Amino acid sequence: MATSRDDFGIAIRSALLQSGAKQKFSLFVLIIASALVFALDNLELKPIKALRSVINDGVYRLSAISSSPISFASASKSFLSNHFNIYRENEELKKKIELLEKDRFDTLYLQTENNQLQEVLELDKTTSYSTVGAKIMLDKNSPYLNSVVINKGSNVGIKLGMPVLNKGNLVGRIVEVNYISSRILLLNDLNSKIPAVISPSGEQAILSGIGQKNPTLEYLPDGFQNVDDLTVYTSGKDGVLFPGISIGKIIRDEDDESEEGRIRVKLFSDPTQVLYVNVVLDKSNDEEAK
Amino acid sequence: MAINVKGFKDGLLRSLPLIILIYVSISEFQTQFYYWKIFSFNLQFIIIYYWVLRDPSILGYGFIFLCGLINDVVLSLNLGTSPLSYLFVSLVAAYIRAATVRSTLISDWFTFVIAVMGGNFITFILIKNFSDVGVTYADLFYNSLFTFILYPVFWFIFELYKRGISLRLYD
Repeated sequence: MATSRDDFGIAIRSALLQSGAKQKFSLFVLIIASALVFALDNLELKPIKALRSVINDGVYRLSAISSSPISFASASKSFLSNHFNIYRENEELKKKIELLEKDRFDTLYLQTENNQLQEVLELDKTTSYSTVGAKIMLDKNSPYLNSVVINKGSNVGIKLGMPVLNKGNLVGRIVEVNYISSRILLLNDLNSKIPAVISPSGEQAILSGIGQKNPTLEYLPDGFQNVDDLTVYTSGKDGVLFPGISIGKIIRDEDDESEEGRIRVKLFSDPTQVLYVNVVLDKSNDEEAK
Repeated sequence: MAINVKGFKDGLLRSLPLIILIYVSISEFQTQFYYWKIFSFNLQFIIIYYWVLRDPSILGYGFIFLCGLINDVVLSLNLGTSPLSYLFVSLVAAYIRAATVRSTLISDWFTFVIAVMGGNFITFILIKNFSDVGVTYADLFYNSLFTFILYPVFWFIFELYKRGISLRLYD
């Protein structure tokens, strides 16, 4: 018994402390170094934060360069599949144009009516946003975080919590800001919670990421009816996101393949397909936005 | 000159596992396939475990530490999280190397369970207690499971590669 314990001790000591010609550092030294780095990073001191920001910027750039073959292959695949679908897509688009033509007249009427009502209620007319465009530099999924890195940071005025749009639809919010790069937490991430409102019923809920493609709606009122054409917008109740940013459509029960009894939302902008985004810096009036 | 070219080629060939490890850590290379929902594996664990166990001269602990730091930056984890889990995997591999005389696929594979479970457990504990990032137990479990299942596949690939480079060296 004592011999086996001795053997274990010798083997573990040899594994931990041996460095020699083949290994420049022993495992023991590196484990201590890792623990030290971890402790320093957790202290969140200002100089360490600044250093981390510089490291982040550098590694993100390197990462973007080394990922370019993968990005190129992915873009080529997407280009080819789009090319083969052009005919079918053209037919679908023709039908959509017809429908949109009809809807346009309805919208014009509603817009006029909306303006008149806003005048009556004397509401703030700042409905547009001043944004900054950015390119997705790095898109790496992990079991821990669904996030992407963009090529703009505090140098253009990006701050923590700012909403991020793709084609006018919400895709996430800023959770990390460096000088020339930032990280966006996508809506489908487990840590993403967004106050939302359902249109046209006006019910309030929390859009919650579950680590899968389609996020879910939580804290819905009792007796919520999942009917056709329910659209989800930001409610702006957290005071951080602006109200009225479109998010997605509620998937009807019969279309939901998950069978988990959750109310899921199909996002207007698929987070896996986003290449360019707009970070909303601030609200601006209509004239400024133009 | 010819010797130098051969020396450079051999050096490059021997550094391939290290290059792959750095590339997997720094690039967009994804070992989590989105549409398969539960399928994800940790290629870094497999590379580290195999090479520390079978030929430690190919993969230095210093580089493993560095790859861990890069991985933390890319995945936005607290710095030091991945190095600690990678070094734990290295520790298990180094211990098995020191404690066993002759290793086989079966013995490597079953001791790999301790490395994977321990490595992911360290990551999980550090994330859960020291950051705001939410982790699902199931995702981590599937990650560990598929990493374990896929180990023999990479074991065979790496064995073939190892034989290839040793043949070249004695050529």
